[in-house]
Amino acid sequence: MISDGPQHSVSLGPILLDHPLVDASGTFDLLEYSRRYDGDYFADFPYAAYVPKTVTADARTGNPAPRVTETPSGMINAIGLENPGIHAWIDQLPEWASLRQPVIVSVGGNEPEQYAAVIAALEAHLAAAAAGTAPRIEGYELNVSCPNVSSGLQIGADPSATAEVVAACREATDRFLLAKLTPNVRDVTEAGAAALGAGADGLSLVNTFKAMVLDRQTLKPFLGNRTGGLCGPAIKPIALRMVAEVAQAFPDTPIVGMGGVMTGLDALEFIACGATAVAVGAANFTAFEAPSRILQELRDELEARGFASVAEARGMALRA
Amino acid sequence: MSDADAQTCGDHSQWAETSHCRVAGVRHFGAFAAVELIAPRVARRAAPGQFVMVTVPGGGFLLRRPISLFAAHGDRIGLLVEARGGGSEQLTQLDVGDNVDVAGPLGSAFPTEGVTNALLVGGGIGCAPLQYLADQLAAEGAQVTAAFGFRDFRSARAAGAFSIDRLWVATEDGSVGKAGTVLHILASLDVAPGTTIYACGPNPMVAAVQRWTFAEGLRGYVSLEAHMACGTGSCHGCVVDTARGKVRVCSEGPVFRLDEVTP
Repeated sequence: MISDGPQHSVSLGPILLDHPLVDASGTFDLLEYSRRYDGDYFADFPYAAYVPKTVTADARTGNPAPRVTETPSGMINAIGLENPGIHAWIDQLPEWASLRQPVIVSVGGNEPEQYAAVIAALEAHLAAAAAGTAPRIEGYELNVSCPNVSSGLQIGADPSATAEVVAACREATDRFLLAKLTPNVRDVTEAGAAALGAGADGLSLVNTFKAMVLDRQTLKPFLGNRTGGLCGPAIKPIALRMVAEVAQAFPDTPIVGMGGVMTGLDALEFIACGATAVAVGAANFTAFEAPSRILQELRDELEARGFASVAEARGMALRA
Repeated sequence: MSDADAQTCGDHSQWAETSHCRVAGVRHFGAFAAVELIAPRVARRAAPGQFVMVTVPGGGFLLRRPISLFAAHGDRIGLLVEARGGGSEQLTQLDVGDNVDVAGPLGSAFPTEGVTNALLVGGGIGCAPLQYLADQLAAEGAQVTAAFGFRDFRSARAAGAFSIDRLWVATEDGSVGKAGTVLHILASLDVAPGTTIYACGPNPMVAAVQRWTFAEGLRGYVSLEAHMACGTGSCHGCVVDTARGKVRVCSEGPVFRLDEVTP
């Protein structure tokens, strides 16, 4: 077949994506979108894969309100990994079954065993599940980088703790394994090397930057959790730098780049810094149509610049 | 009150696609602006208590602002906006002919079916959804009384935007209407048995109205305010404590039964 434009499909390790855009975990709820859409949102699903909100072994109620507010060119959040726990989470899988795109499950926890327990429970369920009762779950993203959990510790800031989580999860599944890195470190490649050394297949970055916003009347912390994670356009230049560093250090590793992507050109910048796929986060909050708009803009940019494929644009910023 | 004798506040049509709307009219009341938008697809689906997410024009603000529907009729919706921060201030400065992006209607609505006597209790900008509710209740033949509380003369300017036949106003500084809070108005009213209470305002007011309602042996509904990011159920930013745990104001609310929330 003769193609009439750039090749948009990319291979994220063994996962074939129709195009490079996925949602950033915790910013896009498929069922909630579907409830507020006139057509069949599953048929019109704009992303190439679905990364749901992080699930943990036990249910978590999350942080006290307020949990979000806008900041200059960005926003801060401290949700605290609110989720129903893996068992209740598994119960809603049939509702996602008609999704054609692959699902990459975001997994959280405090200890390596908790991460592995989530994966083991899901693997056991999938092994026994009847056909047509679950979507195509093709991988996991290990969220070792949430800045808003009550322990105050980010596993991802400690390379050896990161390696322990990845190793425990590697034993629990043969599926594609991403480690999601925190930017709240001196050298993001250290945790990246630890994750890959322990069996991760790829890296996603960056999670949010630990930050603080004050109530400007009382001069007390605004968020119920005191601190939160900063995201949005404000962090994009730092995220690009970190993705480039990781891509340079691990050239053959699948990378999901993210941080403040609002337009197709922003996504292309992450690809140019070495990302295989690009996750859209805060932009999902700005308009219902943001995912499809950003995808169309990315396609237009690739075509206008004469790229034959997404792969051709990958790593442009890293070459002399 | 059991589940059986109260209508649930869910299952209203929600629609999150963006409508590009033209401003058809603006009326200013001090720091408040009543903005009328041509939004046929929003107006057609809307019910009192629901809200819209409004993009702040000019591109300087990332997140949309949640604003409850002040009115909806024909192809028009009305919003009552208070200049509180940079984003809302810009929305009060909209002019006729300007364009603004709106997503909605979103969230749950005030149940009105079978209501014969209604008492609407509002505080500050929280009064906004009660005009649309009053219009709907009146159209359905209900007797409507409203009690609105404001902090001072400045915030009481908002009262000028409302047209409700039996509307009582209180200000904490005594500058307009009764001196005190809405509770002082409630204490002076002769409330018919079986009256349904509808409340919207800051959490301390909601808590006080809740106590008064239970003490009077009445039942009712409340629309809650919260800081939101997405407004469409994805971010879990706007949770509130309820009898069934933390729930999202944007998705499970903003309208709840008065007896299920702990504001």
